[in-house]
Amino acid sequence: MMPDPTQEGKGQTKEWKPDVDMPVVYFQGVSKSYGRIHAVSNITLGLSGGVTGILGMNGAGKSTLFKLLMGKLKPSAGEIRLFGTDPWKNPAPYAKVGFVPEHEKMHDWMTALDFVSTFARLHGMTRDQANTEAARVLDFVGLSDVANKQIGKFSKGMRQRAKIAHALVNDPELIILDEPLQGCDPLARTTVMNVIRELGKMGRTVLVSSHILNEIERITEQIIILHQGKLVALGNLHAIRERLDEIPHTIRIVGKDARSLAKDILEHPAVFGLSFPSETELLIQTYHFGSLHAELPGLIVNNGHEVTLIDNPDDDLESLLGHLTGGGA
Amino acid sequence: MSDKPTIWRALDRKAMAVAEFTLRQQRKRLSTWVVMGVGFVAMAVLTMFYIDSMMREYEAIDNDGDSRDFDMDGYPNGQENLYGTDILDPESHPGLLNPPVAPDDPSKWINEDGFDIDSLSEGSYGYDDDGDCRTEDKTDSQQDTNNNNIPCDVQIYAESYSNNFRINGDNEVDEDPDEDAYAKESIHRAFVLALGKFGFVFLIGIFVPLFMATGLIRDEMSSGTMHYMLSKPIARSEVFLYRILGFLGLAWPYMTGMVVLAALVTGFFGPSEGFFRFGDLGVWMAILLASLLSLLVYAMLFCLLGVLWKHGIILALPFAAWELGMILTTLGAPDAAILRFSVIGWAMNIVDAGAALTWTDTSLLVALGLWAGGNTLGGSEPLTGSLALEIFASDSGLGMTPLVTIVVSVCVMLVQAATFWFIGGALFKSKEID
Repeated sequence: MMPDPTQEGKGQTKEWKPDVDMPVVYFQGVSKSYGRIHAVSNITLGLSGGVTGILGMNGAGKSTLFKLLMGKLKPSAGEIRLFGTDPWKNPAPYAKVGFVPEHEKMHDWMTALDFVSTFARLHGMTRDQANTEAARVLDFVGLSDVANKQIGKFSKGMRQRAKIAHALVNDPELIILDEPLQGCDPLARTTVMNVIRELGKMGRTVLVSSHILNEIERITEQIIILHQGKLVALGNLHAIRERLDEIPHTIRIVGKDARSLAKDILEHPAVFGLSFPSETELLIQTYHFGSLHAELPGLIVNNGHEVTLIDNPDDDLESLLGHLTGGGA
Repeated sequence: MSDKPTIWRALDRKAMAVAEFTLRQQRKRLSTWVVMGVGFVAMAVLTMFYIDSMMREYEAIDNDGDSRDFDMDGYPNGQENLYGTDILDPESHPGLLNPPVAPDDPSKWINEDGFDIDSLSEGSYGYDDDGDCRTEDKTDSQQDTNNNNIPCDVQIYAESYSNNFRINGDNEVDEDPDEDAYAKESIHRAFVLALGKFGFVFLIGIFVPLFMATGLIRDEMSSGTMHYMLSKPIARSEVFLYRILGFLGLAWPYMTGMVVLAALVTGFFGPSEGFFRFGDLGVWMAILLASLLSLLVYAMLFCLLGVLWKHGIILALPFAAWELGMILTTLGAPDAAILRFSVIGWAMNIVDAGAALTWTDTSLLVALGLWAGGNTLGGSEPLTGSLALEIFASDSGLGMTPLVTIVVSVCVMLVQAATFWFIGGALFKSKEID
């Protein structure tokens, strides 16, 4: 029982065993309210394995859900289990968890390697182990060449990747990423998405939140949709989308010759309406968004049109939620 | 050391990681260096006043007037008294004796009869060095003006209604001490105690933790960076403790450096027979011990207040004021019961007990300085330095022997720190982190 200033030798964290009979993440009737405001209400769900996207508008309760799961907040009602243990009472399950918080604030004065290895040591690693593991995960997220640069000098995407690296350093079974794509440039976005997909392939349980449908779509098919603190949909994204196909949808095209393009597009059977908000802008109404969206590039290229932008103003979470909650877009 | 993995070793690794992280984090902050720099400058300014007071010459006062030469014959009165010549007759002086005696430098008769008292306890002390009491010109009653039936002595009485002593000397016994030596010795001791108590234990001991430890947990909670640490398998009360350890990793060496520096400066500039006052080291050790413990206890408390409320510093300020009141109380009433409810009261016990062990004669020094030889001619002015020493030197308030006082006070301060850690950890654990 002597202090170990050399920090050598094998370590061992507290005697804690995960409950194998429970799902990795388990919510039973969980609510969190602040006075009259219900940040999360009556959530019941169990998750084990695979990548799950948590979709919701800002303020839908995604971060609250994660903070409840990470023991940062105490539920007002219900039961939360992380590997079978109540995270509010016992931090031991975090040995198997990696958490990427949404906060942009980081320890800017540290280098990426310092940051990752310092927090790795909180898992009971020695200095050497921590450095080795930190180098490994920084390489995994593609930051190995800037590992010794101060985080304060990083771009947003690099900061996000450093945060992800810090969460992966203990080789966790459950990885929670709160809005990991926020503020990333397209290149970083792709890297982060690849990392998340990779983790899913490795058999980890990954929870990733976003308020942008497209982002989640590119990462996983298994989604949970939160709206005003309630769980409104849970399951395969395609199944949810199929219901969307029967709903009128808008595609916006911006180009030099919007009017001539309209002629070609009007012939497509899926189109039931066109409008021109301005000289260079075309809005297309369709009931079969999926098929039209697939054929649209061909139509444009084959007819030699110049198009600068194709946008789906309806294909966002807001309209999806509108339909799911029965309000209509 | 065995290679057997233990829970302790894992805890120890986390402790090192958090403490090291905290230390590096504090080191990167400008505010840390500003706080420490201000502390250093404040102590340096105080020390300059001290150096000035040590370099200065304190005016020697001829209390009995025997350096003067009333009859202008070149022989000071004291020398004429010694040889029995008439101090008022220029035709009568020791130069006319056989063999003739050369006149003394008058300065020899200024501080010619110092204190010959070695203990502040009831009894008869003193010796009339210059012979102006023992002279045969005086009657028996003139030689025993304090009426204790001992001629030419100084009587110390224990006062029945207090722990104080009263000094009553026969006229012209020990009446002409060396003001300069007395002033330097007492100012030196007063300064060491004042700097130790108010400078190190109070000012640095409170304000460095006030500015640096209040935010140890709170700043990270507000900025959101606490999420990184709390997402690891580590209990929050551990985080609390290890953050404090990291703070102490910076604050303790800082305090030690300042105390050692002060000990060196006062050791070299203070009055001593050699080149350095090694005799003060005991006091400095006690000051160092008390100030390191103060840093620990206040850091725990202020970190706790920071966890309790985001404006914890507002809670800490009234507490600092309370501690100021308590340290002032220790000066006048070191045994007041209310001091038990402070941190600084216990720290002062350590300093005072250390001073009692090192400077056993401080209370005698104060009493003599206030008595000032009865001041035959000089009125009733206490000697320079005696009032300062009276203010800053106190008895330790526990009424135990100094060593026991130190042991008890150290234990109490460690219990205080542990209590604040326990409460702070529990508060932190119950906090929701957004």
